[in-house]
Amino acid sequence: MLELVFTKILLFAIIGAVLTGFTCSLMGTFVVRMNLSSLGFAMSHAAFAGAALGIFLRKDPLIFALLFSIFVSLALGPLADKAKLKTDVIIGVIFSLSMAIGLLFLNMSPDTAMSSTALRILWGSVLGMTTADIMYLLIISVITIIFVMLFFKEINSILFDRKLARASGINDKPFYYLILFLTSVTVAFSLKLVGGLLVFALMINPTSSVYQFTYDMKKIILLSPIVGVISCLLGILMSFSFDLPTGSAIAIVCSAIFGVSVLVSPKRRKG
Amino acid sequence: MDKAIELHAVDTIYEGEKIPSLKNINLHVNKGEFIAIIGPNGAGKTTLLETINGLLESKKGKVIVLGKELNGDGNGIRKLVGYVPQDYSIDELTPFLVSDVVLMGRFGKIGLLKPITKNDKEIAKNMIDYLGISDLSHRPIGKLSGGQAQKVMIARALAKEPEILLMDEPFSNLDFEARKDVSEKLSHFHKSKQMTFVIVIHDIASIPKVCNRIIVMDAGKIIADGKKEDILKPELLEMGYKGIVC
Ligand SMILES: Nc1ncnc2c1ncn2[C@@H]1O[C@H](COP(=O)(O)OP(=O)(O)OP(=O)(O)O)[C@@H](O)[C@H]1O
Ligand SMILES: [Mg+2]
Repeated sequence: MLELVFTKILLFAIIGAVLTGFTCSLMGTFVVRMNLSSLGFAMSHAAFAGAALGIFLRKDPLIFALLFSIFVSLALGPLADKAKLKTDVIIGVIFSLSMAIGLLFLNMSPDTAMSSTALRILWGSVLGMTTADIMYLLIISVITIIFVMLFFKEINSILFDRKLARASGINDKPFYYLILFLTSVTVAFSLKLVGGLLVFALMINPTSSVYQFTYDMKKIILLSPIVGVISCLLGILMSFSFDLPTGSAIAIVCSAIFGVSVLVSPKRRKG
Repeated sequence: MDKAIELHAVDTIYEGEKIPSLKNINLHVNKGEFIAIIGPNGAGKTTLLETINGLLESKKGKVIVLGKELNGDGNGIRKLVGYVPQDYSIDELTPFLVSDVVLMGRFGKIGLLKPITKNDKEIAKNMIDYLGISDLSHRPIGKLSGGQAQKVMIARALAKEPEILLMDEPFSNLDFEARKDVSEKLSHFHKSKQMTFVIVIHDIASIPKVCNRIIVMDAGKIIADGKKEDILKPELLEMGYKGIVC
């Protein structure tokens, strides 16, 4: 019986890792190329604050995480788009505000305060994955794949250069917002496994690693999710083996992959 | 004759500015014409091109392109109009290959949810060959020299096979030989496809031969518009467009 439970946890952890690694890194390729890193950063922390509020209210943290990260993407998206305000500043404000709010709620949550449930949304955990979580991850993965396949031309043009894309007759705005929206949903759904503090690492590191080896965007879009999946799988392996928080383990693995990529990158080699 | 471009008393003002960058522009371009726009820096040449393809919205007057009036969203029109911008920022690490950048020129025209066909790829490849840059085809765009990149942008615009092609100083980074060569190719392309061409150019010597009409702009206005022989008279140039030596 105990073994069965363990098998189920392991299975869910593995499926969860594959799906999380896949979508985070896929959306990460867009986030990195479109210079939306700070926006992604703000989203992941807003999602954390949302989840903390959910725990405080004894409601489903996921819904609040989702609402918060979508709110940030829609509120900051237009600012980042028009570059009218220094987005760095606003994002810095949002970031510290959401951390403050998040920690405050966690602290105020009676009995669960700083308990394992609460900490899980900070650092992530392999233990908490439910069937519903897996379903959500599966749905968002399928949606992102379909999105990229259906609109490959448009996305590719926009990733190259938004103004040139617009000049060539591509309506860039809806795609920009769809990318932001899908990113925020991905962040929220990944919270459980990777945690609010580290989901960002999973978006940025795999694609940055692949960047070290190729100048071909098609390859980057194909390979980044693979590196993301590998990072997550190795991460949960580490997490199980050494009893580390899952998010930390995944972040360490994908940072290590990035570090090695930079070291061996043919792009950086002289001559 | 069918009109490709009609501007009726058009003013364009940049967001946040008070003084219009285009003032009361009236311009009619027939289908199949090849016109060149000259004028000093800040005259409004780039603004005019972007008003025509709807990247900038005019504040007054009417812009009609290929029979359709532009109001607000020029996306539909831009599927049919090619554009080689004056400047584009392509940084060194841009992860796109030349062949992809040229093919992408067609994406807007192909349209949403339609697949990229073999034909599209062939046209892109032909344009790369046509401009003599096939050796660059698999190189990252960010690693090219200014002139090489400019040829790629021209190939990209031609690959679209647009009905109207707007080019903003497409030769600025080309050496003299390349200017002559590309200029002849544009002439040839224009003849074979019967497209409408509008080219902004500083170097009068490299105005393509087929170009028979020249527009001179200054301070947001069209100050002369006529046959090449009439406009390129030394006195006229002196008046409207000082400082060109060719
Ligand atoms: N983004 C902008 N915001 C405000 N004003 C602008 C902007 N771009 C151009 N202008 C102004 O509009 C006027 C026309 O500029 P435009 O770029 O059309 O000139 P141009 O003829 O293309 O010059 P050049 O030969 O230097 O390319 C100039 O006075 C310029 O200062
Ligand atoms: Mg200009």
